Amino acid sequence: TEWNVSVWGKRRAFTEHVEKLAELVSAKTNGEFTMNVSYGGLSKNTENLDGISIGAFEMAQFCAGYHADKNRAITVLELPFLGVNTLEEEVAVSHAVYAHPAVAEEMAQWNAKMLMTSPMPQYNLVGTGEPRDELAEFDGMRVRATGGLGKAFAAVGGVPTSVTSSEAYQAMESGVVDTVAFAQHAHLSFGTINEADWWTANLNPGTVNCPIVVNIDAYESLSDEHRAALDSSVDEAIDHYLANYGALLEKWDSVLAEKGVQKVMISDEELAKFREVAAGPIAKAWIEENAAQGLPAQELYDLVNSTLADMRK
Amino acid sequence: MAGASAVHSDDSLISRLDHSLLRVERVFVLVAGIFAFMLMFLAVISVTGRNLFNEPLRGYVDWIETLMPLIAILGVSYVQREGGHIRMDILIGQLKGRPLWLAEFVTTLAIFLVIAALVYGTWAHFDRSFDLSKPLWSRDSTIDIGLPLWPAKLVVPVAFFVMSLRLILQLIGFGRAFVLGLESPAAVPLVQSVAEQAAQEAEHISGRD
Amino acid sequence: MEPIEIGLWVSGIMLVLVVIGMRVAFAAAFAGLLGLIWIFWAKKGYAPEQLGWAMTVAIKTAGQVPHGKVASQALSLIPTFILIGYLAYYAGLTRALFEAAKRWIAWVPGGLAVSTVFATAGFAAVSGASVATAAVFARIAIPEMLKIGYDKRFAAGVVAAGGTLASLIPPSAILVIYAIIVEQDVGKLLLAGFIPGMFSAFVYAALIIGLALTMKNFGPPVSGFTWRQRFEALPPALPIFAVVVIIIFFVYNPFGGDAWGTPTEGGAIGAFIVLVMALWRGMRWPELKDALIETAKLSVMIFSIIWGVLIYVRFLGFADLPTAFSDWITSLDYPPMLILICILLAYAVLGMFMDAIGMLLLTLPVVYPAVMALNGGEAVTAAESTFGMSGTMCAVWFGILVVKMAEFCLITPPIGLNCFVVAGVRPDLSVQDVFRGVLPFFFADAVTIALLVAFPSIVLWLPSLA
Ligand code: NA
Ligand code: NA
Repeated sequence: TEWNVSVWGKRRAFTEHVEKLAELVSAKTNGEFTMNVSYGGLSKNTENLDGISIGAFEMAQFCAGYHADKNRAITVLELPFLGVNTLEEEVAVSHAVYAHPAVAEEMAQWNAKMLMTSPMPQYNLVGTGEPRDELAEFDGMRVRATGGLGKAFAAVGGVPTSVTSSEAYQAMESGVVDTVAFAQHAHLSFGTINEADWWTANLNPGTVNCPIVVNIDAYESLSDEHRAALDSSVDEAIDHYLANYGALLEKWDSVLAEKGVQKVMISDEELAKFREVAAGPIAKAWIEENAAQGLPAQELYDLVNSTLADMRK
Repeated sequence: MAGASAVHSDDSLISRLDHSLLRVERVFVLVAGIFAFMLMFLAVISVTGRNLFNEPLRGYVDWIETLMPLIAILGVSYVQREGGHIRMDILIGQLKGRPLWLAEFVTTLAIFLVIAALVYGTWAHFDRSFDLSKPLWSRDSTIDIGLPLWPAKLVVPVAFFVMSLRLILQLIGFGRAFVLGLESPAAVPLVQSVAEQAAQEAEHISGRD
Repeated sequence: MEPIEIGLWVSGIMLVLVVIGMRVAFAAAFAGLLGLIWIFWAKKGYAPEQLGWAMTVAIKTAGQVPHGKVASQALSLIPTFILIGYLAYYAGLTRALFEAAKRWIAWVPGGLAVSTVFATAGFAAVSGASVATAAVFARIAIPEMLKIGYDKRFAAGVVAAGGTLASLIPPSAILVIYAIIVEQDVGKLLLAGFIPGMFSAFVYAALIIGLALTMKNFGPPVSGFTWRQRFEALPPALPIFAVVVIIIFFVYNPFGGDAWGTPTEGGAIGAFIVLVMALWRGMRWPELKDALIETAKLSVMIFSIIWGVLIYVRFLGFADLPTAFSDWITSLDYPPMLILICILLAYAVLGMFMDAIGMLLLTLPVVYPAVMALNGGEAVTAAESTFGMSGTMCAVWFGILVVKMAEFCLITPPIGLNCFVVAGVRPDLSVQDVFRGVLPFFFADAVTIALLVAFPSIVLWLPSLA
């Protein structure tokens, strides 16, 4: 069996679990079940779910925030200030939500089944000029942030400004935006860190959720042995991803020092104010809007919180 | 290329059908041009809003992505009617009479096959983003302000459907020319004589530069 | 059959379809669709009952491409840059530029042709699309050259070649496409194009002067303009400079502050200025409507090729042909500079059969990393690199080389788009005439490219200031 896997960009920390999964599955089946990972050759990144639905390829990665209407249920994971602190917690809450029947049902409409997540750390801002470490300074700030994050900054007077991730650097350089919110690996790969004067170390407003899915028909037509090889490799692939991303995060401070980027700590008081304006009201609006569409929105939101609580017991 | 239409008209049924379809195609291509114009204004609004009022146009990229298919695809049939899509005419330009009509028929048939398939393929693409049971009928949305994608996706099968009607007319036109051995059949783009093109060209650019 | 073999077969079929006169956009789409069906069916072992499944999946996969690929902010520069060109034409800017160039420089040997080259270079500063520039000047410059006895094929060649300058001198749609594909700074690339663009113009001019001095019956110089006449010709061409300044300031602020916006916005603001100018000069709805329809038609032509080729590229993705090519290139045991030159030559060959944008879209995802690897990687410093430049600068340098190569292919048979466009505008010229007329410029471009390869500082000096 040969599976085609559609991801995008280039090989990076964000795709290491897919590469590891391919390696493990092939090893466990003596090369009988292989995966051919394609970086953008099979689909546009916003259309990977379409490709899965068609059956053009068997496995794919996508991000919920790219197209909220395609995957309303899992956008709960992109709400601001969920309080996720580590990558391990991100994995736990993602996989708990993925296992919820409402998510499975929505994915089934795309002929897709959740396999695992691509945990990303909290998005933090890089910016030019004077560091913005007080909430008042976010008023009128032009910020590149999408989805729930964009809503959070708008709630404190920021102006979310649309540029694609590949134009983010140019937008910062030209003053179209003052700040850009990305995970660390993206600040590195899109070069926004090179233009930055400061980075918010502890704003932690939220992140983007990017699952790996498989085509249901392809998954079910696997032999028992091959399916077992796939299922049993997920945890190991995630462990590899976490170790690899952890190494990147450890290097992060030295990257900041090397580029002369100031590390900005925001006071607990200011953070609490931000959370108060952004977290509660946006979550409430999300729950109301999605409950009106027949999703068990409150249940999904509670599931995130209870999973986090369980993690910390 | 230069807007010089090389399509003959007469009082045959096919020529009348050609003109009926042309009316639709002219509207389509003009709409495409007007949306290209709007693209420019979007940027002007975005820049002035940002620099003068610190209020950039929300969802600027989303709007651009919604407009682009209108600009880039809607006029596809109009250009086909004029014979304006790029091709290599080194070989086909040497042919005359029945061999020419046969060659045109065959290549047009191949275009028809691919466009007919794409009417289905692009409709399916639209259909995946469209769900009557959802708010705004949307099952796929843009990244920043969540505009529904289905209207922009619907543009493509509509444009291709008109294009396939155009191709059917051209197939009948070339087929008829082949069977009857016509000199200059109606309703199909012709490789014009130099003098004819010159006359039309002069008319088109007079006083415009 | 292996996917790569299917890839080669289908590519061959596409070439045959193009050669027998099928419209290029649809030949590519046809080949891509056929290839997708083939590759999906092969995956099911050619079982007869699976053919229907393979066709459905292939058609739906192809059906994603036209909307998916066209709905792009980066590509929105293309209609904007075409619109700016047509508006400038209707605002009389092209005529004004040509007139100014004629009065100031047509006294040199081959003067009117040299004037045409510099007028196209000036127009390049408001036009982002080579084909549009060629189309506009075919209407203005060729008749004047014919009037004073130029060979019609040579006159057409001057315009077709001059048109290619529009893609190096900013604004440039294709440089933006390159920057987007390789994820590099759009501003640096646009700046980098300026000097090579002007450099190309001077090489063209030198060639024309050389030909005029050596050949009999070449068009005569045009002299006798008074200084008064010369200065009178300048003001009507001034809006061009306003647009140049705007676009430069939107890319890079020479006074050290922030630039004013993105290149996308700069192009649109430039178009807006030209629109105001055109309205002031008496353009009304009928002319505006014409400009819009012409913009739509040229945009549709270009975008049809883009999505058509991208259906074919989608198939290549499944056939994995690019990866096979990449592995092969990096395994070669030759000097890196030789490999780079071979890559550029391969572009020349590929460009003979493929549209420039399609060619870049098709190849860069594969070729660009290989070139960066040859230089020592994306993060390499100038001192440790193979070609003596940092990773970022190598990306800029290769970008200009590739775009110059792609422009070169606009004047090579059999799909030299500029030549088709000039022939399309001029009823008295066949495509073959234009190809013959453009032949000397073909050699001039080869010299230019050799110089850009040998002396990268021609490309890198300006962006290194930014
Ligand atoms: Na230009
Ligand atoms: Na012609």
